[in-house]
Amino acid sequence: MTVRFIHTADWQIGMKASGIGPVGQQVREARLDTINRVLGVAKERGINLLLITGDVFEDNAVDRFLVRKVGDKLSRFPGRVYIIPGNHDPLVPGSVWEHAVWEEASNVSVIREPEPIELDDCILYPCPLEEKYSTRNPTSWIDAGESEKIAIGLAHGNVEGLPDADPDFPIPRDAAGRAGLDFLAVGHWHSFATYPGADGAVRLAYSGTHETTKFGERDSGNVLVVEIDERGAAPKLESVPVGRLQWQTEETSLEREGALDSVLSGLNEIPAPESTLLRLRLNGLLYASDRAKLASVEEIVSTRFLYGIVDGQSLVPAPEDDSWIESLPVGPVREAAEKIREQALHASDEEKKAVATRALIQLFEMNEKNHEGE
Amino acid sequence: MLLHKITVSHWRSLLNEVAMGPFSERVNVVHAPNGTGKSAMFEAMRRGLFDAHHVTGGEIEAVRPWGRDLSPSVTVEFSEDDQTYRVEKIFLSGSSAKLSRLESGSFQPLATGRDADARIREILAADAPGRGLSRHEHWGLAQILWAPQGALHLEAISENVAKNVRAALGVQISGETGGQLEERIARRYLDYFTKTGKPKTGKNAAPVTGLTERRERLKAQLVELRQKQQGFEEASRTVEDARNRRDQARREADSLRQTLGGLRKQAEEYTRLKSDLKNKQESESLAKERYENLNAAKERIEATRKEITELEEKVKQAAKREGEFKTEWETAKELLEKRRSERETARARSSQTSDHLKKIETARQFLSDQSDSESLRTRLDKITNLEAELQKERKKRTETVAPDAKTVREARKLIGERDTAVASLAASQVHLTLTPETTVSVHNLTEDSSHQASPSHPLKLSGDAMVEVKVEGFGGIRAAGPEGGAEKHRDAIREAKDKLEKLCEPYGSTDPDRLDALREKAQELDQSIKAIQQKTETLLDGTTTDALSSRLAEIKARRKATLETYPDWEQNPPVLSELQSAFDQFNNEIRDTVQKAEDAFDKQQGVCTTAENQLNTHMAQLKADRKNLESARKRLEELTQDGLSDEHRTKAISEALMNWKASKETAGQLEEQLKAIPGDPAKDLEKLERQLGAHEDTENKARDDEKTAEGRLQGLAAEGAYSKLIACEEELENVDEQIGHETTKMEAIRLLHDTVTECKQAVVASVAAPLERSATQMLSRVVGPRLGRLRLDQNFVPEAIHPDLASEPVKLDNLSGGEQEQLFLITRLALAEVLAKSGRQLIVLDDVLNATDSGRLARLLTLLEEVSDRLQIIILTCHPERYRGLGGAEFFELNH
Repeated sequence: MTVRFIHTADWQIGMKASGIGPVGQQVREARLDTINRVLGVAKERGINLLLITGDVFEDNAVDRFLVRKVGDKLSRFPGRVYIIPGNHDPLVPGSVWEHAVWEEASNVSVIREPEPIELDDCILYPCPLEEKYSTRNPTSWIDAGESEKIAIGLAHGNVEGLPDADPDFPIPRDAAGRAGLDFLAVGHWHSFATYPGADGAVRLAYSGTHETTKFGERDSGNVLVVEIDERGAAPKLESVPVGRLQWQTEETSLEREGALDSVLSGLNEIPAPESTLLRLRLNGLLYASDRAKLASVEEIVSTRFLYGIVDGQSLVPAPEDDSWIESLPVGPVREAAEKIREQALHASDEEKKAVATRALIQLFEMNEKNHEGE
Repeated sequence: MLLHKITVSHWRSLLNEVAMGPFSERVNVVHAPNGTGKSAMFEAMRRGLFDAHHVTGGEIEAVRPWGRDLSPSVTVEFSEDDQTYRVEKIFLSGSSAKLSRLESGSFQPLATGRDADARIREILAADAPGRGLSRHEHWGLAQILWAPQGALHLEAISENVAKNVRAALGVQISGETGGQLEERIARRYLDYFTKTGKPKTGKNAAPVTGLTERRERLKAQLVELRQKQQGFEEASRTVEDARNRRDQARREADSLRQTLGGLRKQAEEYTRLKSDLKNKQESESLAKERYENLNAAKERIEATRKEITELEEKVKQAAKREGEFKTEWETAKELLEKRRSERETARARSSQTSDHLKKIETARQFLSDQSDSESLRTRLDKITNLEAELQKERKKRTETVAPDAKTVREARKLIGERDTAVASLAASQVHLTLTPETTVSVHNLTEDSSHQASPSHPLKLSGDAMVEVKVEGFGGIRAAGPEGGAEKHRDAIREAKDKLEKLCEPYGSTDPDRLDALREKAQELDQSIKAIQQKTETLLDGTTTDALSSRLAEIKARRKATLETYPDWEQNPPVLSELQSAFDQFNNEIRDTVQKAEDAFDKQQGVCTTAENQLNTHMAQLKADRKNLESARKRLEELTQDGLSDEHRTKAISEALMNWKASKETAGQLEEQLKAIPGDPAKDLEKLERQLGAHEDTENKARDDEKTAEGRLQGLAAEGAYSKLIACEEELENVDEQIGHETTKMEAIRLLHDTVTECKQAVVASVAAPLERSATQMLSRVVGPRLGRLRLDQNFVPEAIHPDLASEPVKLDNLSGGEQEQLFLITRLALAEVLAKSGRQLIVLDDVLNATDSGRLARLLTLLEEVSDRLQIIILTCHPERYRGLGGAEFFELNH
């Protein structure tokens, strides 16, 4: 009999959102809202089994209302939900799993023991975590070789061989095969990743987080729809996007006067700015005539998008663009402008360069105002 | 400016009109004794030129001659830019001003009143005072050119005059546009920094100051939140540890609980009160913390519009969450009722344990009776057997006649006597031994008997006193010995035999060994009888057979009664260990059930209390937030208008303080209740019970620890420390970023300002250099090269000298008084010469050079003569003789 289920993990509800100014709360709320989209995928596809492989919450000390909200959302799911605690929300005294909502939600099972759970058409082999760090392989207890039903493992940890990963709850790449599992659903890594076995079948996969957590995170914001036809059959995996927020990093090098025009037009082409977090890095040369455009870029980025920041620290005044300085009145101001410009172009310290560039921009603006008689 | 004439009246000591002039265009010496009005004239000229005619106040009143209602007046005729003017001013009563210009040989009015005041200042490039009399800085070029009495030192020159000097030197540092830009830069700079270059503080502080303060507050908050987060994790571990300790303690206590049960109500009460007290003390601590937080918040709150917006959002969100809190509490209460019901059900089951215990006790008695019954029966059988055996042995003993040891000894003595007599008889006889070579017949003649003797069987014969034999084939042989004694020995033998036979007659033998055997047999029978008797006594063990039989009957009756209750025990006797095990299992189940139910109830009670506290806290927080919001708004108003109170916040703090005190009072009541229990009741229990009590205490303590830790953990968990922590961290990062932006902005404006100032100073330095050289040369001519180079600041005020021999410049107050007045006079002359490039200028020296020696005075006079080619000089002095050497000087004596 075919088994179909949604595999998701690492919701990290209540997580800290670094480096995005005041919109951290909105990002957290988006992570909560996206749970509805996860459940929506299940509904659309007629799937009534949801497996969550750890780190539903960022920490056991998150606000208890977040716990209730997550529990309430899951309780409205018409199918069964199985959750294993992960390293961020391990099963310890005072954990989020002691909240009454988990008793109230009759369709939700928080798995507390590493024991097989027999369902109608499959057997689950869960590996709940009881601590934050360990070098123990959480799947080592599983022996599903004799199972006649489809065997599905639920674990949370680092699949061996991940780049720059500590041996934290290490899971061998061939853990599914070793344990006799048809599929081992793994959480902890926020990007969707699969690990084909010797026969080419993928029996071990990270679903990745349901909503991207930071700039530069690849293949996140998905859930995994898994279908297994029979015991021993190769699982069919489909990564379905559910994330609402777009985390976009743009880097542009300004090489000529007017180069900011293309940046401005590029900003207009970014879809759904209200749900996009944009980090725009500008480097290269800044011409005096482009300074107003830079201000426009900064204004658009900071107002149009859910969150936006322009990093222009690496911009330096264009060496050949000294016409406005020559237009300054002869005397100390012009001399000072020339000195500061030298510093902006040639200072060894990047911070000094940035300060000097900023000083030039301020002088430029003051000079403009002077001409305008303000 | 060139001064032509001056007329003064009603001015201090100059009561009547005094006129002086026309003055020479070169050197003029006005002299008079002290107190005659030289300086008053000079003052009148200054007031006439620079002060408004309508000025009032104490200073101008002081000009009026003492004790007279006269109006001071002054008339000054002077030339400026090839025009000749006359100023006429009257001060105080009837004050007036009139400016005339010499046109076609006569003075024609130009302006009167305030217009005249303003016009004169315009002509002389002087500044108007704000109010009151003019000060030195309002005098225009006269700041440099005119040295009032005692004020030769040049301490400051206004920027306008410095500009004039620079203009006269032909240098323009910043044009009009440049100046405007410099002003913009300076204004922007002063938005962030003080004039001394320090970041501004207070109400007008730069944004970075407020941001930095906010950052510090956030950092402090962050430390607190991190401690809470750490506290949460530690509490979690503490609960885990406490659970482990409790399990361990429980296992240890279980071994004692098999024989001892029950809990001491009073001890439980004591423990409960202790636990409650701890919880209440924690509540007190939390209430205290809240009070302190509010109090601290009052100090921290900074009024900004953004903060108000945040607070509004917070209140809005909190109002939304109020319903959620209430739902949480209601749910917790419902679950608590459920747990209470489960606990009561579990407790009800515990009464069944006594029935089990009674059965175990009966079974134990039943089995004991069974064992005792069998034992008694065996004993009685053994006793009966022993008694039969005893009868048998006694019969044998009766049948056995045996001598005693003395009889045996007597028999052995008689046998000895007999044997001695036999030996004596033999000794008293003759003995003959025949050993033939072949067998022969021997006939004993003494006894008349025949015998055979052979080599292998010699023949021995004895006889009293003689033995006589006849040997076949040999003949006779007689052997004789001493006579007598044999009969005596034979009597002794007979007597001994008789006694022996008489003694041994009952035993049937005279054989001593046999007699001994008989004696030993009798002895063995006696021992056997004794041993049987002992065994019997042992089996009776101090009682009697009848008593044992009676006891057996009693046991049988009891057993019969037990079997009526438990008939199946007849066929299947109870197994005590199984019953005990069943009881243990049942008891453990009951205890576990009760324990779990109680734990669940306690835990839910904690959750319920926490939820209620949360709701209350939330409501209080909501209330406080609203008040905070109000307070923040008021504070904003205070920042803009000043002087508004913070009463709403104070009220919130007061409420928090009341909560704290209330919690403290509750804890105090619990302490009083605890005092009513005199120590731990467990101490009064028996030793074994104390042991169990100790174990139970350990378990209870571990449980209390667990509960306390769980309570704390629940509280900390309910706080959602992590969520607060990350919100704080994010805010801190945000503030750090803003600080970064603001710092860059500030550093940029500082860089701009400092660089412009540096450039400007470099230009000024280059401008002042020729003037410095000129003044240095003049100074060198008067005082010699010792003082080295004179250094002027950017406004041309002397600031130091740099002697050639000194590595560093020397401040002017290190010079002598005479050298100082010479240096300042020379500086004024040098500056006057610069200004004179655009026209002849008037130098006024009021009573100067008093500390200059005659040698240097002569050199100074030479200098004055030289500069008088380009300057008009008026010297006011009471020592005209000191200036007599001035070539071409006009002398005016003030004589009124």
